[in-house]
Amino acid sequence: MTRVLGWLAALGLLAGLAAGFGYAPREAVQGNVQRIMYLHVPSVLTAYLAFALVLLGSIAYLATRRPGWDRLAGSAAEIGVLFTGITIVSGSIWGKPTWGTWWTWDARLTSTAVLFCVYVGYLLLRSLIDDPEARGRYAAVVGILGAVNIPIVHFSVKWWRALHQPSTILGPEPAPIDPAIGLALFVNWVAFTLLFAYFLSRRMEIARLEEQT
Amino acid sequence: MPANWGYVIAAYGIAAAALFGYWRRLARRAHAIGARPRAAAKTRAA
Repeated sequence: MTRVLGWLAALGLLAGLAAGFGYAPREAVQGNVQRIMYLHVPSVLTAYLAFALVLLGSIAYLATRRPGWDRLAGSAAEIGVLFTGITIVSGSIWGKPTWGTWWTWDARLTSTAVLFCVYVGYLLLRSLIDDPEARGRYAAVVGILGAVNIPIVHFSVKWWRALHQPSTILGPEPAPIDPAIGLALFVNWVAFTLLFAYFLSRRMEIARLEEQT
Repeated sequence: MPANWGYVIAAYGIAAAALFGYWRRLARRAHAIGARPRAAAKTRAA
């Protein structure tokens, strides 16, 4: 199953590159730099998914004390940090030619940086506790509290005056984008979700084997 | 608007390096776990 997911993710990423660089047109205002969107937006959506699974795994672990839920939370957090890092770096690179700066303390950027730091802290906490039961319990509490930041990140562009544009695809109105751009974004989002599923499957299996040895 | 391909290549290049690096890290850890029980079995046999 994991191997199949890996191949599907690889094919999806190739299709995403073809859609983003071959099929989608050059954006009229920003030019080619807008193609970073096909990396930036799927990354952050994947990170949201990962941290939602951390929340689910944390709540379920506290309720049942089954180690599988803790493995899910810990594995998803690690991959979520990876995708949040990609989101921040790709956004920063996109920001330089469009905003004229690599970084600004805008509400969306700042809350995303806080999200990244919270889950890096979550992983550090896990690495510092040897007892699996105590590690699972403390990490679950941080995993639940950390999830509070996800809606703050998402709605920050609505709640505060921000340089970052409002949500295009997860907003309340229909997405005002060209259908070809929307399709390329969708293909890349599916590819990133498959890649996340592949990474999660492998990481959870490694965690299970590490607990046995 | 200039082409700005350098920014696009930088963003995709860094992301590809990060994802490939994580994939390699998982592969190394899986390999290490696979090697551990074999090493232990060899020690027991000896």
